[in-house]
Amino acid sequence: MRRWWHSARVLVGLGLAIAVLICGVLAPLIAPHDPNAQDLLATLQPAAWQAGGDSTHLLGTDSLGRDVLARLIYGARVAITVALAASFGAMVIGSALAYLAGYFGGRVDWLIGRAVDVWMSFPPVVLSLILMTGLGVGERNVIFAIILVDWTRFCRVLRSEVLVVRRRDYVAAARLVGFSHWQTLTREIVPATIPLLVTLLTLEMGIAIVVEAILSFVGLGVSPDQIAWGQMIADGREAIYQAPWTLLAPVLAIFLAVAGFNMLGDGLRRSLDVRMVEGRE
Amino acid sequence: MRLLASLTRRLLVAVPILLVVSALLFTALRVLPVDPAAMSMPPNATRAEIEQARIQMGLNKPLPVQYAIWLGRAAHGDFGQSIHLRRDALRLVAETLPATIELTGAAMLVAGILGVAGGLLLFALRDRKAELVAETATTVLMSVPEFIWALLFIFIFGVLLPVLPFTGRLAPSLDRPVVTGFLLLDAVLVGRMDVLMSALAHMVLPALALGLAFSTPVMRVLRASLLDVYHEDYIRQARLRGLSETRILLRHALKNAFLPTLTLLGVQFGFLFGGSLLIEVIYSYPGMGNLMVDAVRNADLPVIQLVGLTYCVVVLFINSVVDGLYQVLNPRLRAR
Repeated sequence: MRRWWHSARVLVGLGLAIAVLICGVLAPLIAPHDPNAQDLLATLQPAAWQAGGDSTHLLGTDSLGRDVLARLIYGARVAITVALAASFGAMVIGSALAYLAGYFGGRVDWLIGRAVDVWMSFPPVVLSLILMTGLGVGERNVIFAIILVDWTRFCRVLRSEVLVVRRRDYVAAARLVGFSHWQTLTREIVPATIPLLVTLLTLEMGIAIVVEAILSFVGLGVSPDQIAWGQMIADGREAIYQAPWTLLAPVLAIFLAVAGFNMLGDGLRRSLDVRMVEGRE
Repeated sequence: MRLLASLTRRLLVAVPILLVVSALLFTALRVLPVDPAAMSMPPNATRAEIEQARIQMGLNKPLPVQYAIWLGRAAHGDFGQSIHLRRDALRLVAETLPATIELTGAAMLVAGILGVAGGLLLFALRDRKAELVAETATTVLMSVPEFIWALLFIFIFGVLLPVLPFTGRLAPSLDRPVVTGFLLLDAVLVGRMDVLMSALAHMVLPALALGLAFSTPVMRVLRASLLDVYHEDYIRQARLRGLSETRILLRHALKNAFLPTLTLLGVQFGFLFGGSLLIEVIYSYPGMGNLMVDAVRNADLPVIQLVGLTYCVVVLFINSVVDGLYQVLNPRLRAR
């Protein structure tokens, strides 16, 4: 029962994540309208099933008469690009430093540990805003800012795992057989931490989607001509009394995307972690 | 007394971190492609005038010298003028910080209460079928970031059932008493019940949105540490002594399971304090978050720098307090 439930959760998470991915990749093919086409005679139209709704605009239109569903689908593009690029970038930097700190210890560990301390004393939102001031708006800069803020999440968690793995007998054995530091790291230590890394990566994708939405919401995210869920929320908030669905649609999209990645990450953690698998039976 | 000593030690450790943070902030904001001198001048200023301003602001000197100058002035409480608002930056922060602290404190209270209640509930459901549902529910709840809660609450309690206010800190018809800057406290001090009620009503939605988002990790950690604690011998002892389950839970287990939860609350505080920024923007709450976003939009460097620094100071301070508390509350560390 437990097993089944957990795999069901992973599947639902995977399904949601893939759905966002497909929307992002195939946006031009599946979007019912041009997301930027304005129709000032049909602004703030309700969704198709509501009174006065029109089946050509399934989720209605926004304050400039643009199709909400089309914008939602195109918004997935930015969301998924940022999620993938930023989380991979943060993982590469954070885990490289974590391996160095955890494996070599000593001064390297001290230095990296203090860097993490300094970084963590900034609330993430504040740090990303400061970075966006410097970098300027744009998709690439959003990715860059998230990498620069979130590498610590990987570094902190992974470092303690490397500390544990480093003390295992097979690592000592590898060194005795004559493996170099590099060989020991890449052949013995990295593979042992892959499950944790995959879990952190999945969870980070959800976080990246939220951060991108936050930055776009305050107008410091992707450039204004790109379509992002955060911008749709900012627009929808202005029309909350007349057309609440223009706010609720992107809110729901963000929720589903993040829930998807979280369920996937949570499920993977349970199925990949040997200790938890053993404890469960 | 022990708390005080431990706290002082920890605060001293935080000082070098703060210096590094301020140097990093300074450098990051100076290498930006924005020219603070040009921005502080009227649009029709000549090149020569801007150059003059650059020299006056010390911008022609090397970066370390500029930082030393800034640090020297900061030590005297001079953090520069807001370029955009043309007011003392420190004053702007001093005016907005109490609002943010009030909001964060209220949210922390919400997160603590909901977190402990939820954690106890999750624990009570252990080894039952309902646990799976509850666990999934927390995963789903964790997927709702604070700004989504904020928007949903505005929609539900502001638009669908308009029962609570969702802009500002006080009804516009009321005048605000200023004694300490902490509105709730000031209202009590001057004995204005109407102001107190209005301020509380304005705080419900933002504090709930912020607190709710941070209560789910608390629930999970409390449940996990309760599960751990229940493997300990003294729980079995207590059972053998015939104590009731409720008494075991509340008097013995909870006390020990609370320590990891406390650490988590400390770590969460940084996220929660940062999260207040967005909540303030959404609810037009006149705190430091709104000041920051305005400053960022206007590239108002002195304000960005000071607000950024203030966020760090508060986070470092709270983390030190939590560490100190942990040291005092944990008997294993106390012996050393």
